[in-house]
Amino acid sequence: MTYILGIETSCDETAAAVVVDGKTIASNVVASQIDLHAEFGGVFPELASRAHVEAISVVVAQAVRDAGIAYDKLDAIAVTRGPGLVGSLLVGLNFAKGLALAVDRPLLGINHLEGHVYSLWLTEQNRSIEFPALVLIVSGGHTELVLMTGHGEYKRLGGTLDDAAGEAFDKVGRLLGLPFPGGPNIERAAQMGNPATYKFPRAKLDETYDFSFSGLKTAVMRAATVPPSAEARRQRGGDKKAQLRTGVSVNDVAASFQAALVDALVEKTARAAKAHEVTEVMIAGGVSANQALRQAMRRETDLPVRYPPLNLCTDNGAMIAAAGYYRFQAGQRDDWELEVQPMWPLTRSTYAIES
Amino acid sequence: MPILREGELDIISHSVEQTQRLGARLGALLQPGDVICLSGDMGAGKTMFSVGIGRGWGTVIPLTSPTYNLIHEHERQADHKRLYHLDCYRLSGPEEAEQIGFDDVLNGRGPVILEWPEHIESALPKKRLWVELRILEPTRRNFVFNATGSRYEELLKAFRESAFGI
Repeated sequence: MTYILGIETSCDETAAAVVVDGKTIASNVVASQIDLHAEFGGVFPELASRAHVEAISVVVAQAVRDAGIAYDKLDAIAVTRGPGLVGSLLVGLNFAKGLALAVDRPLLGINHLEGHVYSLWLTEQNRSIEFPALVLIVSGGHTELVLMTGHGEYKRLGGTLDDAAGEAFDKVGRLLGLPFPGGPNIERAAQMGNPATYKFPRAKLDETYDFSFSGLKTAVMRAATVPPSAEARRQRGGDKKAQLRTGVSVNDVAASFQAALVDALVEKTARAAKAHEVTEVMIAGGVSANQALRQAMRRETDLPVRYPPLNLCTDNGAMIAAAGYYRFQAGQRDDWELEVQPMWPLTRSTYAIES
Repeated sequence: MPILREGELDIISHSVEQTQRLGARLGALLQPGDVICLSGDMGAGKTMFSVGIGRGWGTVIPLTSPTYNLIHEHERQADHKRLYHLDCYRLSGPEEAEQIGFDDVLNGRGPVILEWPEHIESALPKKRLWVELRILEPTRRNFVFNATGSRYEELLKAFRESAFGI
């Protein structure tokens, strides 16, 4: 049995987990900073780094203790190397280096997006995943459509040209005066709204597999808010925010926005699935928790649709450990010179690049 | 396109495509150390203009919104030079700018594009190109360029010639 410790600090969760043989979760600890950031409507970098520093040793110790093992039972230490916030990534990477040195185990730098992909191997497997498979990674910072032809073998088919899907949820949530994070709060409002109230645009982008949500965001703003007056705009420290139009139903706007965004995601994903003759469609990342997206994807394709359990959609250490297992099997070993990689797309050459 | 004075330019873009083309004209002229500040409300076109700048400058990976990761560091194939694309929306002041390595970004290794620059105003260099973006109508946007310092006056002049031929 191979025990991998996974550490994840790329954004606002300080997380660690122990995973056995890339599929069985022995422990999974997440210290969420959501409450910390809620009042600001987003992740604040300095708060994030400081909170990671405060939490990391406790979280890792808890993960190892929960797994019921001693440190010397670990086979390797996997840590998110990127993409993400530089300051946050550094906390995890430096801690992992120190620990790897102290317990004399190999260090593995893992791509955060690959972690999301491997969250799908941590589900109860009714049948094993056959390649090629199509993965849609949708989260606060990412929207990527990736063809997976084998373990660690990726072809990036497309991605967002502007805002990530989760970012669009957050920004529209803010426009509508909903609490942070936008995703779950818009989903809740949408359940009580009519998605046919507004015909928001679905970016066409022709034959590509790219996405664009910036125009959608602007259309929502136009429909639901009135711009600040010229006077308010000129006033320093004055209220420069757009105000909600009187009589607008937040629920209807939320439902119509979510329908437009989900439509765009499933249409391209289903088309790519067909074109590349994949055996199944997988969704991962924070936005994959969205029930409307899951239902629409099942409706749009005849192929099996797989997504992680809710607690593995958002950032966690188990997915990093799972990805780390396959990297470990493939012979990857990183040295002490390993650096964070804040911009790090998941492609065929992801692990071939040198920093 | 009224030219108010040297170092100022007031224009209107009629579409996202035009905004990106204008961005590309500016991007092609950028040199290491140039600081471009894009100020305007959500939906005003800051990221769309940035996408154009990146295209004109020649990044390998197209620019996308840096809101989530705060700093996107882009490379171009030709000479491996860097371009930095920042979103300061979530920064609460100059101290936080320092925290995310803003000084490193400003050390002149590459041009820097900043969205929501007013959030870290006191940390910004005094010499810069400031662009104010305003929403006029659904697809029309007003851009007011303001150059401070001789480098930026030259840059703005070159941009005007490149984009409008005058």
